[in-house]
Amino acid sequence: MQVRDYLLRRLALLPLIMLGVSIVVFTLTRFTGSPVGIYASPNMTPDQVAALEARYLLDEPIPVQYIAWLGGLFRGDFGWSGVSVAPVTDVIWVKIAATLELALAAGAIAIFVGIAIGTIAGVRQNKWPDHSARLFSILGASTPTFWFGLLLLVPFYLWLNWFPLGRATPDIYDSVTHLTGMYTLDALLNANPVAFVDALRHIVLPATVLAFGAMATIVRMMRSSMVETMSEEYVDAARAKGLPESVVVKRHARRNALVPTSTVIGLSFGFLLQGAVAVELIFRWPGLGQWVSSAILAGDQATIMAYVLVTAFIFMTVNLAVDVAYAYLDRRVVLGG
Amino acid sequence: MADSTLLTVEDLSVHFSTSRGTAHAVDRVSFSIEKGETLALVGETGCGKSVTARSILKLVPEPPGRYASGSIRLANPDGSSTDMLAAPMREVRAIRGERISMIFQDPGKALNPALTIGRQLAEVFGEHRLGMILERAGLDPDKARPTARRIAQQRAGATRRRVYSLTNRVTSRALQRSIDEAVMAALADTGIPNTRKIMASYPHELSGGMKQRVMIAQALACDPDLLVADEPTTALDVTIQARILELIHEMQQRRGTAILYITHDLSIVRQFADRVAVMYAGRIVESGRAIDVLTAPQHPYTQGLLAAIPRPGTPRGQLEAIPGSVPQLIDPPAQCHFASRCKWAAPACSAAVPRLLAVRPMHETACFRYESAESVGMPQEDMPARIHHEGATAE
Repeated sequence: MQVRDYLLRRLALLPLIMLGVSIVVFTLTRFTGSPVGIYASPNMTPDQVAALEARYLLDEPIPVQYIAWLGGLFRGDFGWSGVSVAPVTDVIWVKIAATLELALAAGAIAIFVGIAIGTIAGVRQNKWPDHSARLFSILGASTPTFWFGLLLLVPFYLWLNWFPLGRATPDIYDSVTHLTGMYTLDALLNANPVAFVDALRHIVLPATVLAFGAMATIVRMMRSSMVETMSEEYVDAARAKGLPESVVVKRHARRNALVPTSTVIGLSFGFLLQGAVAVELIFRWPGLGQWVSSAILAGDQATIMAYVLVTAFIFMTVNLAVDVAYAYLDRRVVLGG
Repeated sequence: MADSTLLTVEDLSVHFSTSRGTAHAVDRVSFSIEKGETLALVGETGCGKSVTARSILKLVPEPPGRYASGSIRLANPDGSSTDMLAAPMREVRAIRGERISMIFQDPGKALNPALTIGRQLAEVFGEHRLGMILERAGLDPDKARPTARRIAQQRAGATRRRVYSLTNRVTSRALQRSIDEAVMAALADTGIPNTRKIMASYPHELSGGMKQRVMIAQALACDPDLLVADEPTTALDVTIQARILELIHEMQQRRGTAILYITHDLSIVRQFADRVAVMYAGRIVESGRAIDVLTAPQHPYTQGLLAAIPRPGTPRGQLEAIPGSVPQLIDPPAQCHFASRCKWAAPACSAAVPRLLAVRPMHETACFRYESAESVGMPQEDMPARIHHEGATAE
């Protein structure tokens, strides 16, 4: 099947899956308590509380409440975020941009460094680069994100003060026109080197911490598929043609080893979004993770539901992109089904 | 080395270290290949014939493999010779694909599934015929820009190639055309129809026979002096086998390429080989002109092998077989490896390694039955029943 047809079909399926996600997330959040708790205060009169409850149709059955909520979504009304004291739709774009920036930076580090380390380890199987890569990936897979974050904060923030906390220095941040909401990108678009350096200084540490776990998975996968492809006959055939070893490794072995690794890369993006919660809390990064964790503590259901919907959407988009990349890397893959 | 000799393998030993000890996959093997001749290396699975073939291109992975002894010398046009095992890697690479090339047993595994046929063939030209590619594109090979050279070598990344094609549209197109033409000519040479379409295909889109034709085109692209064919038809349908063999034979006739066939198929030997060397458990046990070895085998193993071929008259269920099984090659004792399966085996056979001995002109075998007790230095009663040959002399 053509890549284009496949893409269209997957895109048509997307709304259906999102509908399923919305049912699950609505039902589950309703189990956790009343949605109006966050808006009510002890000073309210019983009438005021009743009016609030009526607004959320709490006297009606759950399906009716769901339909009303869903109708709101279609009108662009995601509810009122109690923790941000603003409509969800006003805040969410800033949060998405902040988290995406962090996740993309972490993803880029994890992918490039992970593939590089995995390739070297696979080529030098059972030699010291391989042993250190394996130690590295075991550490990455077993080190809790929050602990590793604190571990880096002590020297680089507390002692050396190379990398500050938060997302930006306020004055510099304000000097930039925010086109995309991603600070690093906006600084570049503004051709503002001061802001760019500021953005980098803020993002390096959290992105590294977030990348570590995903990188470990990529290294392990890349190493084992490199070991496998390096023993394939076409690698020997490439050598028999007189190609230099670097070309044999890069063009013949690595390209094929990337096929199974690309699946892991797609899955690890979900891991990045999940890890972002802890990383954002530690590094005071004002993104989705920090937002939703305060919403969970406060019982802010509108924010929680918006978060789940957005995360699900991002995750599905990334998976779709991985499937298409898979077909590009391995020509034997026929998209469909 | 005689003038007509192309490749001389001398005393080659290849060992593999395993957890249980050292496997002597190839044990002091010597043979030579003349220019333009066909030598068949025959033996059963695991006898070391594939390792020998790969050693010629220095393709045995180290570790676990190790070239324990010997030399593989390729004669150069100027009369000197290059030892593939001792030469620096740069020289070995220059010989691979250019003077010695190889076709593999399973073309489905030997072609990279992620690259088009055209790209894989272009690599050979980029590596060994860079000057020709540049010249045909109208560039002076000595003055071509590094980017153009790299693109001709097919090593440039996609981005760089795109940038170059923006700034040098004409040159870039000429380069691509020059590469394509070389590739199509090589493909057409092996009788592949519709070369432009094949060139753009991925290996999985082609049939097994077509893939092996592509492999042959790739191996012969630079007109090598020696083609190592490692069981080139084993993975193919019987109907295709004959056609592929004829193709190789025809290409050899046209270009005068020497061929080393690695095979266990004695009918290939009968049809195509000038000479044959029989390997057993890492050693050559018999070698000679194909017709001599096949009609008058001297070594008990070769005799058993030939007797095992079913004939039209053979009753069902009565195939001849050699009793016993191949001995372990891990830390083997110094003895005739065939002794445990040989009906003539005597104490001497388990005490020393028999040497290759010329029993007739151009026909050698490694068996104590052709040796006298004195020359081996063993008591007469320990020797197997002797066969006398007029003029039998040690090599």
